[in-house]
Amino acid sequence: MAPNIRTESLTVSYRRTVVLRQISLEAVGGEVLALIGPSGCGKSTFLRALNRLVEETPGAHVTGRVFLGEMNIYSSAVDVTELRRRVGMVFQAPNPFPFSIFDNVAYGPRLRGVSDAAELRRIVERSLQEAALWDEVRGKLRRPALTLSGGQQQRLCIARALAVRPEVLLLDEPTAALDPVSTEKIEELVSNLRGRYTIVMVTHNLRQAARVSDRTAFFDDGSLVEVGLTRQIFTAPRDPRTEQYLTGRYFP
Amino acid sequence: MRERWREMMMTRLTWALSGAFVIMGLGLMASVLVGSWPILMAPHSLGRLLSPLWDPLQGQWGILPFIVGSSVVTLLALCLAVPFALASAISVSRMLPPVVRPHATRVLAALTAIPSVVFGWWGLQMVVPVVRNLGGGSGFSLLAAAIVLAVMLWPTLSFLFAEALQSVSPSYVDASLALGATPDQTLVRILIPCAMPQLINAFLVAVARGLGETMAVQMVIGGQVAMPQGLLSPGATLTTQLLTDAALYPPGTRGHAALDVMALALVAAMAILVRISARWRVGT
Ligand SMILES: Nc1ncnc2c1ncn2[C@@H]1O[C@H](COP(=O)(O)OP(=O)(O)OP(=O)(O)O)[C@@H](O)[C@H]1O
Ligand SMILES: [Mg+2]
Repeated sequence: MAPNIRTESLTVSYRRTVVLRQISLEAVGGEVLALIGPSGCGKSTFLRALNRLVEETPGAHVTGRVFLGEMNIYSSAVDVTELRRRVGMVFQAPNPFPFSIFDNVAYGPRLRGVSDAAELRRIVERSLQEAALWDEVRGKLRRPALTLSGGQQQRLCIARALAVRPEVLLLDEPTAALDPVSTEKIEELVSNLRGRYTIVMVTHNLRQAARVSDRTAFFDDGSLVEVGLTRQIFTAPRDPRTEQYLTGRYFP
Repeated sequence: MRERWREMMMTRLTWALSGAFVIMGLGLMASVLVGSWPILMAPHSLGRLLSPLWDPLQGQWGILPFIVGSSVVTLLALCLAVPFALASAISVSRMLPPVVRPHATRVLAALTAIPSVVFGWWGLQMVVPVVRNLGGGSGFSLLAAAIVLAVMLWPTLSFLFAEALQSVSPSYVDASLALGATPDQTLVRILIPCAMPQLINAFLVAVARGLGETMAVQMVIGGQVAMPQGLLSPGATLTTQLLTDAALYPPGTRGHAALDVMALALVAAMAILVRISARWRVGT
């Protein structure tokens, strides 16, 4: 059962600029939570706070708490490596390593010491199937990943993230760089992964949020404006700023 | 109208100047080739060139000792410099606090500008005595030359290595860390493999600088034309011998032609390096 991931008064600043203010938000186990909001409002930063990747940014400072299930991920006892295994991430621009398709997917398992060829092959096949890429790349696993199309590369990145058997998936505008057909494939994939993983997905595509998410959270200028069932947010937003944003009349 | 005329003149000037560059390069090659012609065309030229005896006045122009000297000194210097340079490149580009990194890079860049005679001078005072005390002999030796050269190549190599590592897309680093890799694992499995073409090019630049270095090596190598008997024995390289004998043999003499052969050998070595480096161009 996929765990909940919940923030309590999460505040993130880069040097002296506060970019996320007191965010308390929960993604329930197995659901797809969409994050929407104007550019620069802190959506990516929020995602990167959920796997502590934000700490790799020089000058970033995090306060507040983030719970993965019952565990506060910012407590000093937490093994960041294991945390990031449990919380996978896919980025806006497809970023497969300049290695073969196989080596991309096997990267995570190899980090954890899996070296048995047969087992690696099993993991790679399973992950590619789960990411709906297997049929397109079977028999070509030794090809360089960069020879794939953009949409295939992004699904490869999803397979790479799935290969370490995460429980949460963070998707940062996974279709921003893709054509409509590839976008549709990824949306279908997200719908299929729903239930098995807790998915937090940033998107600028409002229709995408409406299509694939269970709940939607609207961010503005570093604050969480409102969160609710996707249908409710899109049909009857409570906050006027949400309504303005959704109807395209938003001028920050 | 005037605008177009000016652009046309700019284009022509650019062509003329780059043409001058090509002509100068070809002229250099031609003069070296013509100069070395008498020796290259003499009977048994290759055997006589590759003999260990250098005494142009007696008709002996074996440049083998210098080829050996150049190869050994450069190779040894690189073996010493590469690990140190890689370590400092990693510190500068990954390990130092991010605020300090640009300054550290600038310090490296500044160090690359130190004239080589300064390294030679330092080697004369520091390296030669140490080699003398530890290894015996005069201290002037291939080993001393290699150490001085290694120290001299260190900043250049570190700078180029650091640039190579910094050229790797941060999105790869993000992806690796997000998969739970430690910074060390990311360095070994992502940064170094992804930067490999640039790292190899940096290495080749260092080989070229090492082969071409004259002054710093000349000051500590001892300048002996006989075949070196070991790392502790004095010797000479193609470049240092060229420097030593340049004023000795006037044009037209066999000695001068032999020096032209050495220059030709250096040019050929550089051409080979450029060819190898082209095969490692980024993205191929
Ligand atoms: N490394 C950094 N250093 C300083 N400020 C940063 C850094 N990264 C992001 N910011 C700032 O933090 C704010 C939030 O950035 P973030 O990338 O989280 O926004 P976003 O909502 O994902 O935007 P977009 O929709 O354009 O991706 C922005 O104002 C940005 O300028
Ligand atoms: Mg973003």
